[in-house]
Amino acid sequence: MMGPGRFGDSLNRETIKPRNLSETLGRLGKYFGRFWHMILLAVFFVIITTWTQVTSPELSGQATDCFLVPAVAGSAFAALAPAADSDQTKVPSCWLGTTEDPSTLSYSRQIIYKVFHSGGYEVPDISVATTDQRIGALSRLILIIITMYVIGSILTGATFFSMAWTGQHVLRELRLEVFEKLHALSLSYYAEHEAGDLMSRITNDSSAIEQAFSFALVQVFSGGLTLIWVAYNMLTSSPPFALLSLAVAPLMFITTVWFSNQARKAFRKSREQIGNVNAELQETISSVREVQAFNRADENIEQFKEINAANRDANVTAVAYTSALAPALEALSYLGLAIVTGVGGWYLLTGDLLFGTTVTLGLVITFLAYVQRFNQPIQQIAVLWTNIQNAIAGAERIFTILDEIPAVFDKPNAQVMAEINGKVEFTEVSHEYEDGVPVLNKVSFSAEPGQTIAIVGPTGAGKTTIINLLPRFYDVTHGSVKIDGVDVRDVTAESLRRQIGLVLQDTFLFSASVMDNIRFGKPDATDEEVYAAAKLANADSFIERLPEKYLTVLGERGSGLSQGQRQLLSIARAALAAPRILILDEATSSVDTRTERLIQKAFDALLQSRTRCAFVIAHRLSTIRKADMILVLNAGEIIERGKHEELLNKKGFYYDLYMSQFKKQEEVAL
Amino acid sequence: MQATLTQPNTRARRARPSFKGIGRAIRYLTKYGRQAALPYLFLIIATLSQLAVPRMIRNVIDAVTSGFLADQVLQALDKIPASFISAALPKILEALKYDSAVTLDQLKVTLEADLNNAPRALITALVAIIIFALLRGLFSFLQAYWAEKNSQSVAYDLRNDLYAKIQNLSFAYHDKNQTGQLMIRATDDVEKVRLFIGQGLLQLVGSIILLVGTVIILFTSNVSLAWTAMPILPVALVLFMFFGIISQPLFAKVQQKLAALNTVLQENLAGVKVIKAFTREKQQQAKFRAAANDTMNQSIVVSRFFTFLFPLVFLVANLGQASILYVGGKQIILGTLSVGAWQEFSLYLMYLFFPIAQLGFIITQLGQASTSADRIFEILDAKSDIVDKPNASKLPALKGDVKFDNVTFRYFGSGEPVLKNVSFEARSGETIALLGATGSGKTSIINLLPRFYDPTEGKISIDGHDLLEITLDSLRSQIGIVLQETTLFSGSIRENIAFGKPDASLEEIKSAAQSAAAHDFIMSFPDGYDTHVGERGTTLSGGQKQRVAIARALLLNPRILILDDSTSSVDVTTESHIQEALEILMKGRTSFVIAQRISTVVNADKILVLEKGEIVAQGRHAQLMEEEPIYAEIYNSQLLHEEN
Repeated sequence: MMGPGRFGDSLNRETIKPRNLSETLGRLGKYFGRFWHMILLAVFFVIITTWTQVTSPELSGQATDCFLVPAVAGSAFAALAPAADSDQTKVPSCWLGTTEDPSTLSYSRQIIYKVFHSGGYEVPDISVATTDQRIGALSRLILIIITMYVIGSILTGATFFSMAWTGQHVLRELRLEVFEKLHALSLSYYAEHEAGDLMSRITNDSSAIEQAFSFALVQVFSGGLTLIWVAYNMLTSSPPFALLSLAVAPLMFITTVWFSNQARKAFRKSREQIGNVNAELQETISSVREVQAFNRADENIEQFKEINAANRDANVTAVAYTSALAPALEALSYLGLAIVTGVGGWYLLTGDLLFGTTVTLGLVITFLAYVQRFNQPIQQIAVLWTNIQNAIAGAERIFTILDEIPAVFDKPNAQVMAEINGKVEFTEVSHEYEDGVPVLNKVSFSAEPGQTIAIVGPTGAGKTTIINLLPRFYDVTHGSVKIDGVDVRDVTAESLRRQIGLVLQDTFLFSASVMDNIRFGKPDATDEEVYAAAKLANADSFIERLPEKYLTVLGERGSGLSQGQRQLLSIARAALAAPRILILDEATSSVDTRTERLIQKAFDALLQSRTRCAFVIAHRLSTIRKADMILVLNAGEIIERGKHEELLNKKGFYYDLYMSQFKKQEEVAL
Repeated sequence: MQATLTQPNTRARRARPSFKGIGRAIRYLTKYGRQAALPYLFLIIATLSQLAVPRMIRNVIDAVTSGFLADQVLQALDKIPASFISAALPKILEALKYDSAVTLDQLKVTLEADLNNAPRALITALVAIIIFALLRGLFSFLQAYWAEKNSQSVAYDLRNDLYAKIQNLSFAYHDKNQTGQLMIRATDDVEKVRLFIGQGLLQLVGSIILLVGTVIILFTSNVSLAWTAMPILPVALVLFMFFGIISQPLFAKVQQKLAALNTVLQENLAGVKVIKAFTREKQQQAKFRAAANDTMNQSIVVSRFFTFLFPLVFLVANLGQASILYVGGKQIILGTLSVGAWQEFSLYLMYLFFPIAQLGFIITQLGQASTSADRIFEILDAKSDIVDKPNASKLPALKGDVKFDNVTFRYFGSGEPVLKNVSFEARSGETIALLGATGSGKTSIINLLPRFYDPTEGKISIDGHDLLEITLDSLRSQIGIVLQETTLFSGSIRENIAFGKPDASLEEIKSAAQSAAAHDFIMSFPDGYDTHVGERGTTLSGGQKQRVAIARALLLNPRILILDDSTSSVDVTTESHIQEALEILMKGRTSFVIAQRISTVVNADKILVLEKGEIVAQGRHAQLMEEEPIYAEIYNSQLLHEEN
C-alpha cells in the first residue's frame, strides 16, 4: 500500500484563494436555493432595513434644513421683517415642509412626506413660527425617525435570524452529504488520504463556511446594498458633491485588495508553521514514553522551541498586514469626512456654485452622515472579505470530496446477494493499488463450501489483498471474484458484506460500551445474544472483570484494553454477526500465551458456528495443519497450494517457510 | 503499557470562571518589560486622536455656520432701508445673542470678521482633522502590531512551558490524559488566551479610555445634552453585560455539540473498514445526522439569542441619537446650541455606544480565555510523581545487579495493587524471563525499573543504589528498552537510531544497525541512512521498525535491557533476523524479557511466573518443570496448543 501523505500533500491545504469562483458559488447557491423562501424573506428584510438606514440620515438633514437653520436664521430675519426678502429664508433643500407638489419627489421621499403630513398636519412657516410650533414640527419628524429605527432594528434581527437559520441548514446538508460520501468512498481513497487531514478539512472548512454564511453574508449583502443606495442618494442630491465625497472609496478598495492579498500570502506561511507545531506536538506527546525512556526530553524541547519560534515569527509578519488594514481604512474614512466638510464648508461660505449646484448646510450635514454610512460597510466588508474567501475555498474543498468518484460502487442493477453457500472462486485475479505495480498477478483458486483456507507467505506477498477483494473493499484490476458463482461486482456491497465477518489485525473499537461494541455488527441483538457471543469468543471472563462489566465505556479506539482483549472483543463482534464467510487475520503478536490460547479457541469456535467458509492469514502451526487448503503466496502469485503434508513433501517454498518459522515452534514444543 | 481504563475526567467544571488563570497568563507579559507597555501607550495616543476628530468637525461646522450666518445677515442688513435699522437692531442683536449695547457698525465689523475668519478657521480645522486621522491610523496600527507581537511572544512562552512540562510529566499522568486533549491545550487553549492578551485586553483598556474620555467630553461640552444621553448608558451596560454572561454557556453548548459531531466523524474515518465490513453505514449515518441536527439546533438557539442582541445594540445607539436630535434640536431652536456643537455631540455619542457594545463581546472573550488559561495552568501546575530528589546522586557506571525488595505497586492511589510483595534478584548479565497472563504484572515490573512509576511500597535497587536516591537521567541512560510497538519519529533513519544518543557518529550507528540486522534493508533504500521515515516519510514494515528499535537500544550500549521478545506480524525470514538481533542484544547484559516464546523461557537464567501481581514461582526452566505445577501447567498448555 502507498505511504500515507503522498497524496495528502497534494490536497492543497494551504491554498485559500478560491480557484473556480463562479462554479463554486453556483454550486453553493444551489444549496441555499433549497431554502429560497427564507432567503427571499431575508432579502426583503434587508431592503427595508437598508432603506431605513439610508433614509434616516436624510431625515436628520431635513431636520436641520427645514427646522433648525430657518429657526436660527429666521429669528434674525424675523426681526428684519417685513423688509426681509422672503427667498432669503427659503432653504431650497428642504422638501419635507414646503414642497407644493409632493408627486415630484422620489418614492422614498413621498412616503416620508405623506407620513409627516398625515392627519392634516400643516407645517408652519418655521422662520416666523413660534418656538413651540418649531419644536412641534421637530418632534413630529423625530417620531418618524424613531419609528424607522425601531422597524430597522426588528428587521435587522429578523434578517440575521433567517440567514443564520438558512446557513445552519445548508451547513447540515453539506455535512450530511460529505459524511455519506465518506462511506461511499472505497478504501483506496483512505489509503491515499490521511484521515487526520480529511477530518480537519471537513471540520475547519465547514466551520469557515458556517461563519461566513450565517453572519458575514448578511453583512456583506446589506453593506453592499447600503453602499449602492447611499451612493445613489448622494449622486441624485448633488452629483458633483457626491463625486467629491466618494473620492476616497476607490482608494479604500485598492487598500483592501492589496493588504488582504499580502495578508493571505503571509497567513499561508503561518498556517504551514502551525501545522509543523501540531505535527511536533502530536508526535512527541503520543510517544512521550519513548522520549522519557531514551532521555530525549531536553533535545526535544530545544527542537520544539525552534519550530515554535518560526510559528511566532510567521504570525507576527502576517499580522503586520492585517493590523495595518483597519487603521488605513479608518484614516481614509476620516479623509472622506474632511473632504465633505471642507469642500461643503468652502462653497457654503463663499456662496459659489459647486459645478452649478448650491451647497446648503443641510446638504453638508446629510452628506456627513452619508459618508459615515458609506464608509462603515466598506470597512466591514474589508474585514469580512478574507472570511468569505476562506469559506468559498472551503466549499471548494468540500465539493472536491463530494465529486470524488468512488472506486467501488454498486452497479445500477446490482442484485441482492442470496444467502451464501460458501463456494469462492478467484479467476485470474490481478490487482494493482497503484498503476503499473501489480500486487496480485493472475491468482486463481476455488474454495468449496465448508472449507478453511489458510494463506501464508512473506510480508508484501499479497495476503491482505486477497482478503480485501472478497468483501469488495477494492475491485479487481483483471479477472473475477465469484461467490456461489456470482461475481461480487454484480451484487450490492451491503448484501455481500453483511454476510462476511472480518477479524482484523488492527482491531478498531469505538468509544462506546463493551455491549455496544459487540452489538455493532447486529444492532438489534438482544443482551442474551451479546453474552453468548462474548462467551463464544472467550471474552466473557475479562469483560466480567471490567469495572462496569458489559457497560464499561471504552476509551478512544478501545484504549484501556490490551491488544489481546481488543482482539477477543472483535471476535465476539464477528460472532454475533454470524457471517457466512469468515476472514481472519491471525496476528497474535503481542499477546501472552494464555490469551493467545483463548483467541485460538475463540477462532475455532467461530469457525464451527454458522460459517460456511473461512479465510485465514495464518501465523500458527495449528491453523495451517487443520486447513483444507493452504495457499502459499509470494510476490503476488500463488506458488504452491495444497494440504500441509502434501506441501511439506514437495520440499519447496512452503517447506523452507515451515522449517524457518513453524518448525521452531514445534521443536520447542517437543 | 499496562491496561488501565481511561478514567473520565472527574474534575468538575467550575461553574464560574475565575480570573486567576488569565491573570497569570497576563503576567507572562512582564517578561517583555517596556515592549509590553508599548501597545498601551500607542493605544492611548490613538484613542485621544480619535476623540479629537469630532471636535475638529465641530470647528469646521461652526466656522461654516457662523460665516454663513454672518454673510446672510450682512446681506440682509444691506437691503434694509436705513429707517428700519434702529428699530430692528435690538431684535437682531437678541437673535444673534450679542450684547444689546453693540452698535450697528460694531455688529457689522464683528460679522465681517466672522465672515473673513471663516475660511481660515475652516482650513485650520481641516488640517487638524487630517493630522489627527493620520495619527490615529499610525498609532492604531502600531498598537495592533505590537500587541500581536507581544501576544505571540506570550503564546510562544506558554507553548514552550507546556511542551517542556508535558515531556517531563510521569507515565501515570499520561495514562490519565489523552494526547488529543493535551494537544488542544497547547494549541487551541493557548490561542484563545493569546487572542485575549493580544486583542481583548487592549480592547478592554481602549474601550474604557474611550468611554471615560467621551463621557468627560460630553459633560464639558454640553451638560444638559449629556444628561439626556446618560440614562441610556447604564441601560446599555447592563444589557450587554447580561447578554455577554448568558451567551457564554450557550457558546459552550455549541462547542460540546460540535465535539460530539467530530467524535462521530473521527471514529468513522478511523474505523471506516470495520463500518464497511459490517455494513453499518446507515446506522452511522443516522447517528451522524442526529449529531448534525443537534449541532444545528443549538447553533440556531445561539442565533435566536443574537437576533435579540444585535437589534438592541442598534436600537439603543440609535435611540440615543434620536434623543440628542430632539433635545439638541430644541436647544438650537431656542438658540442655546450651535449646529456644529450639536453635530459634534452626536458624533461623540457614537463613541459612547461603540465601547459599550464592545465590552459585551470582550466579556464573552474573557470568559473563554480564562477557562482556557485555567486549563493551561492545570497542566503547568501538575505535580509530576516522578522527580529527582533534591540531593539525588548520579548513578555510576553500572554492573547490572537488580534487586526488588517487597515491592507493592498500585497505578492509582487506591484500588487493587497490580504488584504485591514482589521480591527477586537479578545478577549482572542474567536473562530474566517474565511469564504470566495479561494483567499479571509483567509490564508493571519493567515499568518500575527505569522509574516510569515509583513503587507504592518496597524498594528497588540497582548495584545497591536505591532508585529513589539517584537521578533519573543517569538511571535511564543506562537502561535500553525495546518494546513491541515501536514508534519512529519524523526524521531520517539515522536520527531515529541515534535517538537516545544524538551525538553518535555514523560508524557507531552503522555498526549498531548491522548487529540489529537492519543495515541491509536500510541500504536498500535509495537514500540509505538518510531515508526519511515517520509520518510523512517512507513507511517501514513492522519488522523493519522493530530492527531500528533494536539498533537504537544497541547504540546506547546499556547495561540493563528491557524487551518484549514478541515480533510483529512479520514474515518468517524477518522473524528469524529479529530473533538473532535480539539474542545479540541480550548477550552480556542484565535483560528483562516479557517472554512470548518458549525458547526465551527455556534459555532464561531465571523465570518469574506472575499471577495476579504476585510471583508464584521463580527459577530455571528445568527446576520449575519439576517443582512448580503452575509453571508446568502453563508450559504444557503451550506445548499441547502448539502440537495440535
